[in-house]
Amino acid sequence: MKILRAVLAITLAVVVFWGLNGRHGLFPPLGKLLNPFAGFWRNGSREDKPPASLTLPGLRDTVDIIWDARHVPHIFARNDHDLYFAQGYVVARDRLWQMEFQALYAAGRLSEVVGPALVQQDRLQRRLGLVWSAEKMARAFQDDSLISEAVGAYRDGVNAYLHSLSPQDYPVEYKILDYAPEPWTELKTALLMKSVAWTLSGMNQDLVMTRTRAILGQAFVDSLFPDLPPYLEPVIPRGTAWDFRPVPVPQPLAAAAASPGQNDAGPGERPQGPGSNNWAVSGKMTRSGFPILCNDPHLDLTLPSVWYEVQLAAPGVNVYGVTFTGAPGVVIGFNGRAAWGVTAALSDVLDWYEVKFKDKDRREYLYDGKWRPVEVREDKIKVKGGTTSIDRVLYTHHGPVVCLEDEKPLAGWVPRGAALRWAPHDVSNELLSLYRLNRASHYQDFLEAMKSFSFPALNFVYADARGDIALWHSGRFPLRWKGQGRYILDGSKPADEWMGWIPWDHNPHVKNPERGFLSSANQQPVDETYPYYLGWEYGPFERGRRINESLSAGKDFAPEDMIRVQTDNLNLRARLLLPRLLPVLRQAEPAAEERTCLEALEKWDCQERADSAAPLIFDFLWNAVNEKTWNDELKPGMDVLYWPLSNVFLDLALNHPDSSFFDDKKTPAVEVFADIALSAFKTACRRLAEKYGRFGRAWQWGRARGTDIRHLGSLPGFGRDRLFTPGDTCTINAIGRTHGPSWRMVVALGPEVKAWGIYPGGESGNPGSRYYDNGVGDWLAGRTYELLFMSSAGQAVPGRTSKTELRGEK
Amino acid sequence: MTGIIGCLVVLSVLHLITPFWWWVMAVPFLYGLVFGRSARRSFRTGALSAGLLWLGAAIYFHFTGSALIARRMAMMMKLGSSWLMVAAAATIAALAAGVAGLAGYSLRALFQQKRKR
Repeated sequence: MKILRAVLAITLAVVVFWGLNGRHGLFPPLGKLLNPFAGFWRNGSREDKPPASLTLPGLRDTVDIIWDARHVPHIFARNDHDLYFAQGYVVARDRLWQMEFQALYAAGRLSEVVGPALVQQDRLQRRLGLVWSAEKMARAFQDDSLISEAVGAYRDGVNAYLHSLSPQDYPVEYKILDYAPEPWTELKTALLMKSVAWTLSGMNQDLVMTRTRAILGQAFVDSLFPDLPPYLEPVIPRGTAWDFRPVPVPQPLAAAAASPGQNDAGPGERPQGPGSNNWAVSGKMTRSGFPILCNDPHLDLTLPSVWYEVQLAAPGVNVYGVTFTGAPGVVIGFNGRAAWGVTAALSDVLDWYEVKFKDKDRREYLYDGKWRPVEVREDKIKVKGGTTSIDRVLYTHHGPVVCLEDEKPLAGWVPRGAALRWAPHDVSNELLSLYRLNRASHYQDFLEAMKSFSFPALNFVYADARGDIALWHSGRFPLRWKGQGRYILDGSKPADEWMGWIPWDHNPHVKNPERGFLSSANQQPVDETYPYYLGWEYGPFERGRRINESLSAGKDFAPEDMIRVQTDNLNLRARLLLPRLLPVLRQAEPAAEERTCLEALEKWDCQERADSAAPLIFDFLWNAVNEKTWNDELKPGMDVLYWPLSNVFLDLALNHPDSSFFDDKKTPAVEVFADIALSAFKTACRRLAEKYGRFGRAWQWGRARGTDIRHLGSLPGFGRDRLFTPGDTCTINAIGRTHGPSWRMVVALGPEVKAWGIYPGGESGNPGSRYYDNGVGDWLAGRTYELLFMSSAGQAVPGRTSKTELRGEK
Repeated sequence: MTGIIGCLVVLSVLHLITPFWWWVMAVPFLYGLVFGRSARRSFRTGALSAGLLWLGAAIYFHFTGSALIARRMAMMMKLGSSWLMVAAAATIAALAAGVAGLAGYSLRALFQQKRKR
């Protein structure tokens, strides 16, 4: 009896221990987590207060860090090494979990800490060759003494913080997911850079376009997916003269054979690259007589935020701006004399090459009439729980074969049996460009920075206190014949290969234009006069056009005018389409609900306000009218037809309302735009009523669409859900369901630089800190903060709250 | 009562110098094994000492800067209030410690039987 009781009691104790000690599926380890002495209770904001002084082995001299009222660190070091060491230290202090999680994501190692659910995601990361190219980049850091010192010092700074931690000090996400941080390495910095490059210049529509051309024909594709769509205002203003003599461009030997493009997994929605705005106005358009520079990159919004705000000062540099959590230097920002900002260039640096393997062993592939050996890279994916999944990735000289012919694609946009040629797989040194930009004081310095910049391609806008403004569509772009790589290429033909690179100083650029301002918003960079082919998949035209319209309409600009432009919610698409659409809808006899919708649209000033219902109605109408126009073009054998850009649709609706694209192929009658518009309107009204009930509060744009800022690891309760947001992806204030302006910055240059900025998050990555999401409310309201740009650590300025002195070990 | 206070003191010290949560199981287990007088009392000693300690500590942290993280944790666990996290900590500790005390005592009971023979 006693034995039985003992066995039962001990078994029960063991089960309780087991249950509380580890993570079970996604259920956190309760014992560890709830322990008040080491669990989440120790992640309160009290622990957030920076210490007055610290001794950190590895520092060469003393470093002063001034913390301001928003917990932004202003780092004053006595040499570059200590500067980046301290940057690594403070970023780790505030964002350790985020920086490591991002690196694990990039490395395809998430299943190590999360579990089997993410093995497929990890496999895709490995197949894309991100780790392979990051390893090359990390090795190349050593070839540049400036960069290897900066990256090494940054790493040591991160690790100095890491080594000071006991398990109870770990960020709370480690405790929830039940793992421990590992040391930072240069490879992780490289992985982060490659991951950013992928976000901004990975993925394209080559597969779907190949498929579309094969089934619907070349003429169809040419008319709906042109290189230069209507209504376009390219990044480089029309009429800008090119100040270089173009190198000869390769010509296709013969018309490329139409490859069918194997695919059977529906790609679903058209992948939309992240968008962004930047612009600079010259002194002749500002009240101060000096340029003003603005930037608002739109990215997936998360908490902790993608950006970390910092001031970095040492002899030879004093720069302020936002940094990546994982790489030294400021990415977007300003110093006392110059400022710069970026948007994604979106020019095409990714092509697919169909590979012919010799046999099913896939040890050799055909190239130029000969068999070449395939290189195999074994990728070990460790999975939480003990198992390891081994993936053999096949590499041709083009790059990795992401998906074999007989495999199920890991993603819809990945063609089967094709090798990935992605320019950022090549070695490059962007950190050097950032290093130079951080120290730039005039246009020549900016040019030096552009020279070493490769990936991801970006539109750099630049302005300085001397009065120069400039814009460079910067990156390393392959030299190609017109249209090369629009469709899947033949991997066995040397003629299909890239023929080198466009010389860096032939990249599209413009300096001090006549019109007095420059802007970019992910649209096509150049008009037809540019001698090289850069690609065709760019963002829609509305933001760029609206920015140019707003800037050319004004003069005597002050910084607050620029902040107003950044938060402009005018929907240009609606402003162009509604005058044509409303008369059509008025003619029909609308039913009760439809009448309400029509009245809302008629009263609408095309401002995408959060408390207005009209943006929602227009959004439903826009989707319905596109659906009805395009979806009937689909032919058997096609899963999807991506909708053309809004410019193309608007041109047809406004200028060619009798176009055959408007004819509904499923009916015997011949429809024109008016018929489609009316039928779409009825559909939209019906869907709205089904989804949101009777016209009322639920129809408000900010409520119906709204915005979620999710936690980076998608932990519920750690993000900010259902924010009542205005704007749309096509307004300057480009807010979507899960993305939006990730950093709004306005820099007024002059004898004394002044700047404003905000991001929807906070400096601390600790969900228990009041600095975790303190910027969200003001960001939502369209407010920005004046940035505290200090000249020295001793400067007495309002907003200075505390100081940390870092000392090296004597 | 002495048992509860003794366990509480030992637990506090161990918790303050190490990060391990399972002291709330190890200490009551040893207590039950060495000093346990009955199954019920061993359970109670463990549950009360550990439960009270975690309750007190959680309340202390709640008032000294950890209310916000407790609220977010409560949202993550789909509990309405941060105070439910305090209750959860106390309950989990009490349960684990009670079970461990019981297990310790039941082992002791085996040895006692053997000694009698």
